Amino acid sequence: MTNGNKRTAGDNPLMLCFDTSTAVLAASVCRGAEVLASRHSHTERNHAVRIVSDLKTLLEEAGGEEIDGIAVGRGPGSYTGVRIGVSAAKTLAWAWDKPLVGLSSLETLAMAAAPYLRGDKQATETAAFASRHAERPVWVVPIMDARRGQVYGARFETTDGSVWRRLDEDAIRLIGEWGPSLAANAAEAGALLVFVGEIGPHAAVLATLEGAVALPLAIDASEMGRLAAARLAKGLVEDVHGFAPNYTQLTEAETKLGDGARTEGQA
Amino acid sequence: MTTKHVSEKKDGSLLLAIETSCDETSAAVVRDGREVLSNIVSSQIETHRRFGGVVPEIASRKHVESITLIVQEALTEAGVSRRDIDAIAVTQGPGLIGALLVGVVAAKSLALALDVPLIGTHHIAGHIYANRLIGDIVYPALALVVSGGHTELVLLPEEGVFRIVGRTRDDAVGEAYDKVARALFFPYPGGPHVDRLAQQSDEEIVLPRAWLEEGSYDFSFSGLKSAVLAEINRTKMKGLDPDFAALARGFQNSVVDVVTTKAMKAAAEFGARQLLLCGGVAANRGIRERLAARCEEAGLPMLVPPMSLCSDNAAMIGAAADLKWRRGQFSSLDLAAAAQVSLEEWSV
Ligand SMILES: [Zn+2]
Repeated sequence: MTNGNKRTAGDNPLMLCFDTSTAVLAASVCRGAEVLASRHSHTERNHAVRIVSDLKTLLEEAGGEEIDGIAVGRGPGSYTGVRIGVSAAKTLAWAWDKPLVGLSSLETLAMAAAPYLRGDKQATETAAFASRHAERPVWVVPIMDARRGQVYGARFETTDGSVWRRLDEDAIRLIGEWGPSLAANAAEAGALLVFVGEIGPHAAVLATLEGAVALPLAIDASEMGRLAAARLAKGLVEDVHGFAPNYTQLTEAETKLGDGARTEGQA
Repeated sequence: MTTKHVSEKKDGSLLLAIETSCDETSAAVVRDGREVLSNIVSSQIETHRRFGGVVPEIASRKHVESITLIVQEALTEAGVSRRDIDAIAVTQGPGLIGALLVGVVAAKSLALALDVPLIGTHHIAGHIYANRLIGDIVYPALALVVSGGHTELVLLPEEGVFRIVGRTRDDAVGEAYDKVARALFFPYPGGPHVDRLAQQSDEEIVLPRAWLEEGSYDFSFSGLKSAVLAEINRTKMKGLDPDFAALARGFQNSVVDVVTTKAMKAAAEFGARQLLLCGGVAANRGIRERLAARCEEAGLPMLVPPMSLCSDNAAMIGAAADLKWRRGQFSSLDLAAAAQVSLEEWSV
């Protein structure tokens, strides 16, 4: 176990944050909400090539100061993508002997909506937020395409874009079933439903959900610092050697084998 | 002997090497390319056995789970600290791309964190230079690389220079062994079972030899594998039980005959002063014993590493990377893992 408590929570640690679970290689150096440097490379399928040199450049841009910890998106998302981020993060944390913070890539994606909810940023889809969301809770639903009508998704509730509460765990779901049920629940709860992330492949389904807003946003590394600092402050650090991605599902080979075993077990 | 880069020649080295090209997660500390201070290998074979072969996605997942622990064990066993390491060596390819990526990203991260050079290393160069961990290589040397994924005859006219003179056109030797093993109902990985069964049999069902065209040092084993399957079917059609042991012996003799004959011919043609046997299938008794006998007849010295250095391991990667270390030839942090990568181009 890495000693994650070398500094106290009030120290405002300098964190190297990155996520490679999606098409964007997102990285930042943050001190809490303060962003010293950030990079977003749209190098799909090339994260493994760029990641370490991107991090090197980023650290130099941030002033070359010794960092206090590393935060990484552990998935879900592209299997290969999350492995790249997790492999880099655990190796750097081990080599530098710094605390490692594991973040949900979906929570990180949800946070991309935060500046819009806070009113710091505006888009046509979000023009009405500032007036609407104050009166009722917002359910932010980050989604990543998982093919065959599936998404990796989760659900968070917020009122002002700064305090977040998780309502659903990260999981793989059928958008055709999950979307309508979320919309019905949101209507009942009086919540505004906001989908964030890889909207494109599921736009047709989302368009049928009354009152739902869809924001095609990508992971924003500038928002990772707050998440990382919050977890570090609570002492939520990972065992570096044991740290692994959250794929949310078994491999196909294991599923096939497991199905057979279960059927036999039940017989 | 070439003198290029001699001005950048480095003195003694302490390399931390990582190998994750298939289903072994391995890390090693190697001094001067010839002394193994540690060589930790975490095999996933038990995990993959129930699937009847290596599942790439599972292999990649396992690599991520154990990579830093294996690296730490390698340092601990070598009795060195992170700060003592001069450079990081890593298998760049060939291999399973998803598996290679984990090792390459970890190695690049280590190079950044420890502020030392990175040396992307060719997996087959590693198998060949495993021989340097047990003795001196005399050039020109001819290497016979036999493994689950490779069957190659490689000429080394001088240190660190690789010229492929022959390679398989279809299945690798190890692959052929495993496929025949499956036909004979052995569990995965079945190659060693076929080797053992062949040794035990007094009978032999003689099978064809794929010599290919005159003067070629290439190999082909898929026809031989088909011949084994055809023989099993023919016997079953007659309502008889196939003599698996005699078939195993026939298969083994065909493979060994072709492989050793071509190796000896190439050694003679290119004036090799040493024969290097390497790769995971170098443990195969049939190949090892026949090649040793033929080398002795020809008065050609033969080197073959112990089993722990024949199967995939990181020490061999450290041994090969030393070639580049001594010449100051390093990789950038943008090093890309590659499923296919040329051995000849990797030459120093
Ligand atoms: Zn190999």
